[in-house]
Amino acid sequence: MVAPVKIEVDQLSVDFDGRFQLHNISWRLGPDEHWLVAGPNGAGKSALAAVLSGVGEITRGSITGVPARVALVSYEAQALLIDAELKKDDADILDVISEGTPVAEIIDQGTVDKALAAELIEQFGLTPLLTRAFRKLSTGETRKVMLVRALASKPDLLLLDEPFDGLDTHTHAMLLQHLHEVVRTTPTVIVLNRIDERPDFVTHIAWVEAGTVAQCVACHDTSAMALLDQLLHLKLGKIALPDPDPIDRLPALHATEPLVQITNASVKYADNVVFDGLSWTINAGEHWQLTGPNGSGKTCLLSLITGDHPQCYVNDIQVFGFQRGNGESIWEIKQFIGYVSTQLQWEYRVGTSLRNVIVSGFYDSIGLYTKPNDTQLAIANEWLAVLGMQHRADESFTQLSHGDKRLLLIARAMVKHPPLLILDEPCLGLDDMNRRLVLALIERISASGNTTVLYVNHHTEDKVIGIERQLALG
Amino acid sequence: MGTNYFNSLSLREQLEQLGECRFMHLDEFTDGVDALKGKKMVVIGCGAQGLNQGLNLRDSGLDVSYALREAAILEKRQSWKNATDNGFTVGTYEELIPTADIVLNLTPDKQHTAVVTAVMPMMKKGSCLSYSHGFNIVEEGMQVRDDITVIMVAPKCPGSEVRAEYVRGFGVPTLIAVHESNDPNGIGLTLAKAYAVGTGGHKAGVLMSSFVAEVKSDLMGEQTILCGMLQTGSLLCFDKMIEEGIDAGYAAKLIQYGWETVTEALKYGGVTNMMDRLSNPAKIRAFELAESMKDILRPLYHKHQDDIMTGHFSATMMADWANDDKELLGWRAETAETAFEKTAPGDVEISEQEYFDHGILMVAMVKAGVELAFETMTDAGIIADSAYYESLHETPLIANTIARKKLHEMNATISDTAEYGCYLYNHACVPLLADFMKPLKSDVIGKGLQLDDLGVDNARLIEVNAAIRYHPVEAIGSELRGYMADMKRIV
Repeated sequence: MVAPVKIEVDQLSVDFDGRFQLHNISWRLGPDEHWLVAGPNGAGKSALAAVLSGVGEITRGSITGVPARVALVSYEAQALLIDAELKKDDADILDVISEGTPVAEIIDQGTVDKALAAELIEQFGLTPLLTRAFRKLSTGETRKVMLVRALASKPDLLLLDEPFDGLDTHTHAMLLQHLHEVVRTTPTVIVLNRIDERPDFVTHIAWVEAGTVAQCVACHDTSAMALLDQLLHLKLGKIALPDPDPIDRLPALHATEPLVQITNASVKYADNVVFDGLSWTINAGEHWQLTGPNGSGKTCLLSLITGDHPQCYVNDIQVFGFQRGNGESIWEIKQFIGYVSTQLQWEYRVGTSLRNVIVSGFYDSIGLYTKPNDTQLAIANEWLAVLGMQHRADESFTQLSHGDKRLLLIARAMVKHPPLLILDEPCLGLDDMNRRLVLALIERISASGNTTVLYVNHHTEDKVIGIERQLALG
Repeated sequence: MGTNYFNSLSLREQLEQLGECRFMHLDEFTDGVDALKGKKMVVIGCGAQGLNQGLNLRDSGLDVSYALREAAILEKRQSWKNATDNGFTVGTYEELIPTADIVLNLTPDKQHTAVVTAVMPMMKKGSCLSYSHGFNIVEEGMQVRDDITVIMVAPKCPGSEVRAEYVRGFGVPTLIAVHESNDPNGIGLTLAKAYAVGTGGHKAGVLMSSFVAEVKSDLMGEQTILCGMLQTGSLLCFDKMIEEGIDAGYAAKLIQYGWETVTEALKYGGVTNMMDRLSNPAKIRAFELAESMKDILRPLYHKHQDDIMTGHFSATMMADWANDDKELLGWRAETAETAFEKTAPGDVEISEQEYFDHGILMVAMVKAGVELAFETMTDAGIIADSAYYESLHETPLIANTIARKKLHEMNATISDTAEYGCYLYNHACVPLLADFMKPLKSDVIGKGLQLDDLGVDNARLIEVNAAIRYHPVEAIGSELRGYMADMKRIV
């Protein structure tokens, strides 16, 4: 029996530190209802879920009936926790390397049902990670910890903002199965960018647009659902890629040499082996998809290529004509690579303009420390137009929604037309419409012939036309 | 132990070296890392500075390896793990030092004499020895072989930040110096510049200084404003709040996170901005409190600077090293037993602004400490740029450590040298401020002024604002922060 929660939201306006506003929301969540919150990027989906957890300042209207114990799993909550963990580490004045809070402690902080927590830890495969530092986990692992923590807190209202993103197929299925149990007793609100991924226990959909609930649809109402689908399938505009900087060109690469040649590589730590004996050759024009479960070492392998992993110096790695470890600098390597990942997005915490974020792609820097030329600024403007953000060029990057940030970072990665474009789960956290835009953009880039695409993804349905080769890890 | 190097100099030489400090321009670094290309760089010490500087240097295309003591390698200690997990070549002193063109000594101060004495006989003729702090050379008078070039490259940030900023494509402000008595081939500056480029420091600004200026200003800053004043302030403010009947959890939280919050304002806009965060009546009150404290504490700051200059401080501390750190450990235990350390922060919400409004005395203490340390250093012949970095610039970094785990964390992360100086200061400062503290009430610490009327006298406000804004630390501060901001946000 679902707890008889009845939430009434009446002409509610909410302010989030002046950065974002929800306005004039009227919404009723009745007993025995489980809601899906959907809508475009930046519309306020996450904000709406956050309001139910008590975030934001109510400036008008009212909200009643929210139970006392609410659990929220979201990117923002995850980022806050990671931020808090990073903060603990950033001030060591001398020689102390701090490890951060272990996973067991993070989970324990919210747990009400210890038996359930133990069971979930086992099911989610977190047992081997319990003593590890929370901030050292991969994106997917972090997400799992957040989920277990929320479920074990046995809330009276469960709010899940993109719960499946970053999870591999197996974990996704397992979480879904568990949620079917949970919704028998706990009213649940799920924020999903992909309406096609909505679990079948969802009874209602709230369509959010421009900071308000634009439409509420019951799933059994087929004609209303058709309308919603139409909204989702908005026609994409024509995409033409801006040219690279004609003056400041990249050094030419040897035409027949592979872009990347990794021979018998391994990544090991004193107490653990990530992978061993791995060889991989990427030739120019051969697009690859890299797959594998959470923690199988996908990001680790990529960072051997980008030079971000310190063990690239002890492996046999040839990139763009450089045999690594022979006096080349990391910037000589990075100039040939465009790179996008969730981690980059977390690290890109710079209060600079959208235009500057794109320009920083010419310099491979997080933030901009070099004065760009007029051509580079013009190219950045063209990219903003591709993304439909040309009127927002001077806004601050830190204030963008998750999805808009991702789009911008993809443009930043592509701005110099790199020989190799690495997209580490580029659709993570994007809504349907933007996901289509991104995938179309990737198809376009991979068809252009100049850039070789290396694409990492969990979602088997996110196939990109033109990416034929696949490397599976784990 | 050698004789104190500074004391061996003539007054003219002392003044010259103390006054050596120049902000270098980016175009002085166009040769990049060329001077170190293909040279063998061997790092001793694989803690936060050692590891992170090494990662940056290697990513800049330089050849970096780590020399560890045999026991550390055999027992696979943390330093061995740090180096090998990051794919560095690790070897014993005997294996690596004789091959080194430049040896980077990044061990704690206390180990310098032992380390340098051990490696010097193994070093190649004409090689280079580099430090990140000059205590060993200046205070202990380490005599380095005549053929060896001795330089210093000191990033003015924690090791983790040295790495993080490099990865972003930037760097952290860095001080470089050449030891005049050990620059046989005249290449010290060239090597130090290339090293600074290798760590990314040139992008954030390099200060060319001397070993003497670095040591004398660094010691002064850390024992007075940076650590000493924050320790004394924490203890006094907490006890006062308890005496005034304020909830202990609230008091503990206000202090633990208060230093970090108010000095964040300092970081962005100097003392002026920190004071501007207060209401006008509170600002005037804080100003007056700071003025009183400056009058009371000035002789103490002078004493610290004098003892640093004469070498009395380092001699006292080295005597304690020789005595198994008896004083240091005793004071450390004493600090752990204070009421502030033993009270957990309460589960209360304190907004960012409230830390200012309810922490008027803390703001006053920061202002008094920063200004006094700066004034005392510049009066002693240290140039304003150095004095700024060693006082105002580093205060927020230290305040962060208190926010993490109170004074324990601060004293655990700073060097033993800083910790020793901090306790010395605290012991003298607490009794000096006793009479000053006695009449103070919770309006300046704990509750705020709680005024209905925020009116002030125009003339007085203008006078106070002018005194804050035209203090010399504000002039040099806005200039140096300007350089930083220029480079950070170029457009």
